Amino acid sequence: MLGELINPYYLQVASFILINIILGLSIYVTLASGQLSLGSAGFMAVGAYTTALLTTNFEVPLLVGILAGVMLAGIFGIIVGIPSLRLRGVFLAIATLGFGEIVRVFIVNTESLTKGAIGISGIPQLGREILDKLEVIGFDPEILGLKANQFTFLIVFILLLIIVIVLVCFFSRQKNSRVGRAFSAINMDEQAAASMGINVTYYKVLSFTQGAMLAGLAGALYAHVLSYISPADFTYHKAVEILTFSVFGGSEVVGGAIFGATFLTLLPETLRAISEYRYMIYGILLVVMMAYRPQGVIDEQMMRWFKRRKGRRQQHGTENK
Amino acid sequence: MLKVAGVDAFYGQIQALKGIDLEVEEGSIVTILGANGAGKSTTMKVISGLLKPKKGKVTFLGKDITGLRPDQLIRKGIALVPEGRAMLAEMTVLENLEMGAYHRKDSEVDKDIAQVMERFSILKERKDQLAGTMSGGQQQMLAIARALLARPKLLLLDEPSMGLAPIIVADIFKMIKEINQSGTTVLLVEQNAKQALKIADYGYVLETGKLTTEANAKDLLEDTSIAEAYLGG
Ligand SMILES: Nc1ncnc2c1ncn2[C@@H]1O[C@H](COP(=O)(O)OP(=O)(O)OP(=O)(O)O)[C@@H](O)[C@H]1O
Ligand SMILES: [Mg+2]
Repeated sequence: MLGELINPYYLQVASFILINIILGLSIYVTLASGQLSLGSAGFMAVGAYTTALLTTNFEVPLLVGILAGVMLAGIFGIIVGIPSLRLRGVFLAIATLGFGEIVRVFIVNTESLTKGAIGISGIPQLGREILDKLEVIGFDPEILGLKANQFTFLIVFILLLIIVIVLVCFFSRQKNSRVGRAFSAINMDEQAAASMGINVTYYKVLSFTQGAMLAGLAGALYAHVLSYISPADFTYHKAVEILTFSVFGGSEVVGGAIFGATFLTLLPETLRAISEYRYMIYGILLVVMMAYRPQGVIDEQMMRWFKRRKGRRQQHGTENK
Repeated sequence: MLKVAGVDAFYGQIQALKGIDLEVEEGSIVTILGANGAGKSTTMKVISGLLKPKKGKVTFLGKDITGLRPDQLIRKGIALVPEGRAMLAEMTVLENLEMGAYHRKDSEVDKDIAQVMERFSILKERKDQLAGTMSGGQQQMLAIARALLARPKLLLLDEPSMGLAPIIVADIFKMIKEINQSGTTVLLVEQNAKQALKIADYGYVLETGKLTTEANAKDLLEDTSIAEAYLGG
């Protein structure tokens, strides 16, 4: 019965939505301290290639490969983040875009290691690996009425969902913590933040590095979901696409990245029937959006309004008792 | 309490301060006067750690603090109210006050916030208003209140009267006097020389990066050449 409900194609799309949410979060967290980075595609490539090379060439466990990808992306985040402290707004965006291109060109040109433009295939698949492990202890997806490939898609989706939930909880909490308040103070007025005793350098590098690690994580997961990566996956088109997830959905709040990544991943899929026009519709939507609601669909005010409503409803609830 | 000795400061190639020497005694109000672009704000930036001096030395309570970061200096007891108030515009009044105590980990922060709101009653009335939507005078009150929450020993005020109506200016100066009387040493930069000298104990005059005159505030008030240049006759 469960077997009929589970459609690998939908699960695949859902998994990409979840990866895109992580990418949207990477923009959100860097923007939180007022830094506009277009380096996400580059950090994503670092994460993806690190784990791909480790797991395919050295048979390193997936978990170790993914963590190594995240760490290396974080180290690159620090290396790029510190000199970028001198840059602001558009200039920072251009510099980080440059970083992404350097990474991509490096990958294209180190064929002996990365197979260059051809890309790396046969990267261990996350779902397959998990199924293999489970089969060793005698598990059979038939128990759930699922075919093997249905099970692998389902388990990947569940795993990604858990990761996203953990990340969303972490970054929502961080927003209201000391760290989050330092980020938003720096975002509003750097000098004011400094004069209040906030270590501006530290928090800016922290926010930039968090963004890099998130992008690295998304890249590493992407490699193990798709099992094939090439430099073409990490061009500046990708960087801009990632930026739109957050900016369209609303870059002030965690919910913005979730909404933006979901909506913008689903939109081209649902418009497949009119495939020639779908990216045109996508483009028009973005233009209209930026003209009329530059802060994105979901903003701080909307969140406050929701909270107030919730608060009022709770009050009513107690009055009725 | 504070001693600045032979400080040179630059913005890139431009030298903004040339051999500044000044001293602030514990418990006093000292004011720095000077025309636009003289280097008053730059002096404040050097003392508060926003700008590193190229030469010279800054000592505070007997310790060398030259080149320390603002977040290190605020822990030592130096708080700055920057020129132009520097609100966290999209935070509420209350959130701004909480940010003033950012580096503090003691349990008296809430008590201090309540106390500051008693003193500045407008802040209490408007505690949930976004700081950016407050009037100029209210923002200045908030900026000063926020700095006080750091529990500074030395409060640096950069042109607190800028752009305010005369009646509000009088309020602000009265407040500065009160803050000083409750034990905080004040270094005050002002264009409003007459009012500043009235509440100050000592004054310096800064001209294009150099200190040209220094004297007791009373004497400066009576000095005719100063009066001509800065007191508007
Ligand atoms: N960020 C900066 N970059 C370059 N030059 C600067 C910078 N800030 C100030 N200056 C220059 O340094 C000199 C001193 O400026 P400062 O802000 O200290 O003047 P001020 O005495 O505070 O003037 P005002 O009364 O107008 O506030 C000026 O010539 C100014 O142009
Ligand atoms: Mg100034």
